[in-house]
Amino acid sequence: MKKLLALVLTLCMVFALFGGSAAYADDVTISLWTYPIGGWGNSEIVDKLIADFEAANPGIKVTVEYLAYADGDDKVNTAIEGNAAPDLIMEGPERLVANWGAKGYMVDLAELWDDADKAEILPVVQAACFNKAGASYEYPLCMTAHCMAINLNRFQAVGADKLIDLDTHTWTTDQFIEAVKLLAAENPNVAAIYCSGQGGDQGTRAIINNLYGGTFTDADHTKYTADSPENIKALELLAGLEGVNFDPAINGGEEINLFRQGILDMAFCWNIGAQLNTDNNDAGLTNDGDTIVCMAFPTDQAQPALCGGIWGFGIFDNGSAEKIEAAKTFIKYMADSAATADAVKASTYFAVRDTADGVDLTKIYDGNEIMSEYTKLMPFLGDYYQVVPGWAEARTAWWNMLQKVGSGADVTEAVTEFCATANAAAGK
Amino acid sequence: MRKSRSGLNQSLVRQETIAGYLFLLPSLFFFLVFVVYPMFMCIYTSFFDSNMGKNTVDTFIGFGNYKELFQDKIFLGALRNTVVIVVVAVPTVCAFSLWVASAITDMKPVLTSAFRVIFYLPVVTGSVAVTVVWKWMYNNYYGIFNYLLKSAGVIDKNINWLGDARYALWCIILILFTTSVGQPIVLYVSALGNVDQSLVEAAEVDGATPMQVFWKIKWPQIMPTTLYIVVITTINSFQCFALIQLLTSGGPNHSTDTVMYYIYYTAFKLYRYGYGNAMGVVLMLIIALLSAVQFKLGQSQD
Amino acid sequence: MKNQKSKAYRIFSLVIVIVLAILFTFPLYWIITGSFKTGKEINSTTPVWWPTTWTLKNYEKLMSKFKAPLFELTVPFSQYFTEDGTPSVAFAGPTVPAAVRWMVNTVWMAVAAMLLTCLTASLAGYALAKKRFIGRSLIFTLIVCAMALPKQVILIPLIREMSALKLYNTMSAVVYPIVGWPFGVFLMKQFAEGIPGEILESARIDGASEMKTFTTIVYPMIKPGVGALAIFTFISSWNDYFMQLIMLSSNKNLTISLGIANMQAENQTDFGLIMAGAAFAAVPIIIVFVIFQKYFTKGITMGAVKG
Repeated sequence: MKKLLALVLTLCMVFALFGGSAAYADDVTISLWTYPIGGWGNSEIVDKLIADFEAANPGIKVTVEYLAYADGDDKVNTAIEGNAAPDLIMEGPERLVANWGAKGYMVDLAELWDDADKAEILPVVQAACFNKAGASYEYPLCMTAHCMAINLNRFQAVGADKLIDLDTHTWTTDQFIEAVKLLAAENPNVAAIYCSGQGGDQGTRAIINNLYGGTFTDADHTKYTADSPENIKALELLAGLEGVNFDPAINGGEEINLFRQGILDMAFCWNIGAQLNTDNNDAGLTNDGDTIVCMAFPTDQAQPALCGGIWGFGIFDNGSAEKIEAAKTFIKYMADSAATADAVKASTYFAVRDTADGVDLTKIYDGNEIMSEYTKLMPFLGDYYQVVPGWAEARTAWWNMLQKVGSGADVTEAVTEFCATANAAAGK
Repeated sequence: MRKSRSGLNQSLVRQETIAGYLFLLPSLFFFLVFVVYPMFMCIYTSFFDSNMGKNTVDTFIGFGNYKELFQDKIFLGALRNTVVIVVVAVPTVCAFSLWVASAITDMKPVLTSAFRVIFYLPVVTGSVAVTVVWKWMYNNYYGIFNYLLKSAGVIDKNINWLGDARYALWCIILILFTTSVGQPIVLYVSALGNVDQSLVEAAEVDGATPMQVFWKIKWPQIMPTTLYIVVITTINSFQCFALIQLLTSGGPNHSTDTVMYYIYYTAFKLYRYGYGNAMGVVLMLIIALLSAVQFKLGQSQD
Repeated sequence: MKNQKSKAYRIFSLVIVIVLAILFTFPLYWIITGSFKTGKEINSTTPVWWPTTWTLKNYEKLMSKFKAPLFELTVPFSQYFTEDGTPSVAFAGPTVPAAVRWMVNTVWMAVAAMLLTCLTASLAGYALAKKRFIGRSLIFTLIVCAMALPKQVILIPLIREMSALKLYNTMSAVVYPIVGWPFGVFLMKQFAEGIPGEILESARIDGASEMKTFTTIVYPMIKPGVGALAIFTFISSWNDYFMQLIMLSSNKNLTISLGIANMQAENQTDFGLIMAGAAFAAVPIIIVFVIFQKYFTKGITMGAVKG
């Protein structure tokens, strides 16, 4: 019997052998989890940045984990519940400030913002990174405007290219409707309102909000206004438009794939990172070599309002002051030092500040044609409303609403229900 | 005399009890710590309004979660889907594997084992790897089903298999089906091989039709195998999670939610732990009841 | 007349079985050919049945994407003493592609679950079948009721428990609940029922200790059952995607299934890479299965005869 117990104990010990992360004797090891924010999802690029950081800051080691948009949130949530949240996370304010920060898991970084930062960082970004109580759970690094994309060759084939302004990258709602009609005569899948999955929600929101000038939240970012007449009108238009299909089977990433494959003529889930992608063909070309043009969302207003993407770092409070300090060092190094230019370039997005530690960040993409062309879209950057409370729950409900509309439910009813759910979450 | 005998018995009982528990100890340790304890905690938290958040305090709400549960249309739909999956998958898996087994069992041994391997392939390939391919096959735009059906002229407009509430659940059941029949086929092949041939021959001499031979002679003899298959397929169907998480995430419009997926969804997308646990408890009761019934059935068959 | 009919039926059923066999082999065929296709062919909108040019690029990507140590030996129980609750590594293997590490993890996980389950379940099954002790029927009832329980039901408490025990994000967190799952005990009890009581009685009269009785008499008699349970546990833990999903978070601790699922979740799905990963995951176990087919089927069948 003793032998048996000994055996069981040994087995338990042996099974403890695997797993856990490496700890180094005197170093502080911090873990960074990052979403695929441009090149920040690519281990080769990130390893280089981390190596530079570790060389500049002996005593701190950084381990990196890569999250995917489709299930990254679930992973972080599971880890939080498992008491194994990362020390550092790279994401946007909608998750860091409005979600995990609001639930009390993150470290307030307000003291990290010195006067120079406040002068250098764009006001709209600053506003997004602070909550109502003045706490900041995110120190921003880069930003972009999310846009949509069209397959120019297809547009030319049906004569729809005359409906778009290739110079300003804008078009009106009527021109959009006309273009869809022309394209639908040739292709039953002009565009897809993807309704599955987590990421890419900004594309669906932006097309709906822009068409008739609706907004997603009120100006104070306290409640959801997706049930406004403008939004309902837009949803009804899209639901009834031949060629635009609500597809609950695909998510934003899959929509991009379909667009690249030439199945769809337009993609609503697009940004500069996608435009620069060279996985299957040169940047700016579909798999078959058609030209991809970035476009602002069509609108009947004077100017489109693009959804902004802001990304930066947040620190999870795991109870170790030493780790929090190391994480702050990391943030300052990446987002406010001479190394920031590289960190921003790695993301393929734009810097949130004009200078960092005296280095000019406005010209880091000079000479890059695609980036220069894309800067034309940046002035259309709209309100960054994703910091409204209850964002994570609202986003989940948003997909359900789209799925309902797609399966033929009454638009007004579905949107009203969405707003009720979302506002209930916001009020919690 | 009598006294000493009962004393002996008592010491024997004590000895047996000690030995019994010592043998049980390792297993009981894992069972109690990693199954029973979480089960108990699950029941306990189900009476609380427990949410995600560092500084949130769980408040006792009695049967509040349960009351909400039975008004929650999504939960009821998920419950219905779970029942549909089990009720459809279990009989079809049994019938199908029995048919395939009886079809391949009289073939040449090489063929029999070749087919046995083939039908077992999806099980060993792994659910995630298989799911990836099925996702492509079901694809609305370039999937093979639409391609074949269109080429054959059966349909003229692509069907969005996983995106259409009418088909999505059935698509999932089909994959579950292909990953579930491997083991039953193996089992039935061997069970049919063990059927007493002399009885079969005697019946054939008496002029029994193949159908009669099957139902009167073979079926009763393979009954224990059938029961075992029913049990493992039921367990397997209830646990269907990977398919849903990877293919539809419960969509479209919650039409492929199962209770298992909805618990995960409630916990990690809606952050409502107490509510998720209440669902777990309801499912636990249903499954415990079902297991008890199946077990009793199995015992009465012996 | 009867013979003719049955011949026609036989041909009919052969045709149907062949069609079904094609359907069942298709996923594997598609994974393997797909893993050698170029990006263009795999993304083609009309199916490309056979790669026109075979490329190893997908495998190169799979092997270069992430790196991890081949294995890490950690000091047992060290997670209870380190500040951040992660075990300290005593010895780490050479750096290899993460996919290889995932495979190592998966095999390790499945083997550990298999060994532990067989050991604990055979002991417990014997006790439940042959020992008459107080509380036996209560324990057995509990086991029967918990047998079909899907682990998702207890997901939230289980995560909290694992984190309290500092086992979260370790293989133990995946293995222990599998071991605790009482199906194995139930199965082994059914096997042990068949041991004649007289043999055990005579062993006791001969003065054999309990442990000796188990190893020399009981174990050889239930060995086929242990084999069945071993195979069953190995396959089911290999495929137990759910436990892996909720318990493992860091890249190097992933299993191969999780690794593939992660690739699929990425924003710009690279089908070639996924197919290469799937082939990498599936082919070894299929080869093992085909080689040991006889034992597999024997093992599986043993379970049912007694179950």
